[in-house]
Amino acid sequence: MFCLRGCSRLVCSSLLMATKPHRLHQIVAGATLQGSSKKPRTLMVDSAMQDGFAKYAEYLNELNDKRERIVKASRDVTINSKKVIFQVHRISRGNKEEVLATAENDLANVTKQYMSKLVKELQGTDFWKLRRAYTFGVQEYVEAATLCNFCKTGTLLNLSEINASLLPLSDPSMEPLQINVLDYILGIADLTGELMRLAIGRISDGEVEYAKKICSFVRDIYRELTLLVPIMEDNADMKKKMETMLQSVVKIENACYSVHVRGSEYIPLLGTNDPDFSLFGAADFEP
Amino acid sequence: MRSLLFRTAIPALHLFSPKTLTLVPLLPRSFSSKSPPMASPKDEPPASSSSLSIEKQFEGFRAHLEDSNSLRDRIRAVAVEMESVTRILYSNLLLVHQSLPISEVLEKAARQIEVLKGHYGRLAEILLECPGQYYRYHGDWRSETQTAVSLLAFLHWLETGNLLKHEEAEKKLGLGVSEFGLDIEDYLIGICFMSNELPRYVVNQVTAGDYDSPRKVLKFLTDLHAAFRMLNLRNDFLRKKFDGMKYDLRRVEEVFYDVKIRGLAPVDTAEEHSMQT
Repeated sequence: MFCLRGCSRLVCSSLLMATKPHRLHQIVAGATLQGSSKKPRTLMVDSAMQDGFAKYAEYLNELNDKRERIVKASRDVTINSKKVIFQVHRISRGNKEEVLATAENDLANVTKQYMSKLVKELQGTDFWKLRRAYTFGVQEYVEAATLCNFCKTGTLLNLSEINASLLPLSDPSMEPLQINVLDYILGIADLTGELMRLAIGRISDGEVEYAKKICSFVRDIYRELTLLVPIMEDNADMKKKMETMLQSVVKIENACYSVHVRGSEYIPLLGTNDPDFSLFGAADFEP
Repeated sequence: MRSLLFRTAIPALHLFSPKTLTLVPLLPRSFSSKSPPMASPKDEPPASSSSLSIEKQFEGFRAHLEDSNSLRDRIRAVAVEMESVTRILYSNLLLVHQSLPISEVLEKAARQIEVLKGHYGRLAEILLECPGQYYRYHGDWRSETQTAVSLLAFLHWLETGNLLKHEEAEKKLGLGVSEFGLDIEDYLIGICFMSNELPRYVVNQVTAGDYDSPRKVLKFLTDLHAAFRMLNLRNDFLRKKFDGMKYDLRRVEEVFYDVKIRGLAPVDTAEEHSMQT
């Protein structure tokens, strides 16, 4: 028995060798040649089976290529949307209009150059089939678009408005790309983190009112999203984002609180009704 | 976390940093517009038209997601029934290991296949309500479909000795007429599952005295393995399943060898030839 085991291993090792790549060519070639190769058994490959698998191979190749193209486009969308977000953060009191104009321009370029690539790939059922390949790019894009819009108008850019802006990308023969609700919501969840940074920046810059506006806006979003999280499909991501979002809200609230409380300490010191912060700041800095 | 926040906020207040200093001339305007120490709760922006429009949009989302969930619940209900049919089908099929004549196994299975087909029909009807979103819910019936394909393919092999093709599998399940087809990856995974069943089948056939079956199974599995190697697979579940197939093949080779070396296998000239070379 023991001896037999050893012999059978010989058989297996020849099989395992057969999994090496160079053997594949032999077998495939053998199937077509039907001629005088050394291994008659591999020659008698079922040709109907091979035909079927040739089709499946083609299908899988196309699918994988498409997935790769989508991943690439999505990555481009992500990188460039991030740039837009950084541009928005360059805002300060004096340059709001120019900064936002540049940001909007950049965003329009992202839409035109990179989102348009996604439109072509995501026709028909591929939109849902390949969602994993593009969801991060789209989320980042939603984040950039809504952030720009908030800075400009102080309101939340609706999903329908974003989708309307994507319509011109597709020619009439194609189905238009429409961002789905899930990706939009995930993008909005990320938006609150950016708004937190913006709010802290604005407070440092003295624009307390603006920070307060952001604060109430983020609270609105957080409140609305708490209702949506339990009913979202595969919401593990979203639950994590909700925790981060709450932290962002609290950070903004605390920052507003410290301005509110400590801001009051300096006014009486100056002994004037019209506090001159520049004087105060300079005086504070001199010693 | 909190200390970090204060670090961010406090320099602004004390205007320590030279960077904020340069911006200082701008400060009085906003601060003098009202008196900061007296700030009252009224300063909080009230629920404005902006938050109303947010509310409205999110209400729409809620409705959308609730609809989607109820659709998913209905799909899951069908999937549960599919699962129980495939289980019955599988238990019927297990009788081949006890050497029940293949015709009887096929007959029993045929009835279950009809039931299964009915379930796919119901699923197709539900999916008509969400055109284009087939893959949104795909995960809910995926594993059931893979099992179903493996069972159908095994039955088909017992019946004909050939591999069940993708189109044939679609036809058996009543799919492919609408947008709702049999996903090719699911089909291939099902075929890999089927291959897992073959070593056990061969062992039991030999025990029951059928010494020719190892040759047949070995040929089929060798062909199948060769065919699978035509595919460029990603590093995914299918790849993993395919990698497992070689162990099935090895086991069947071992059985074939055992039978052959003892002269139990019926003498086959072609086979004899191939063994010599």
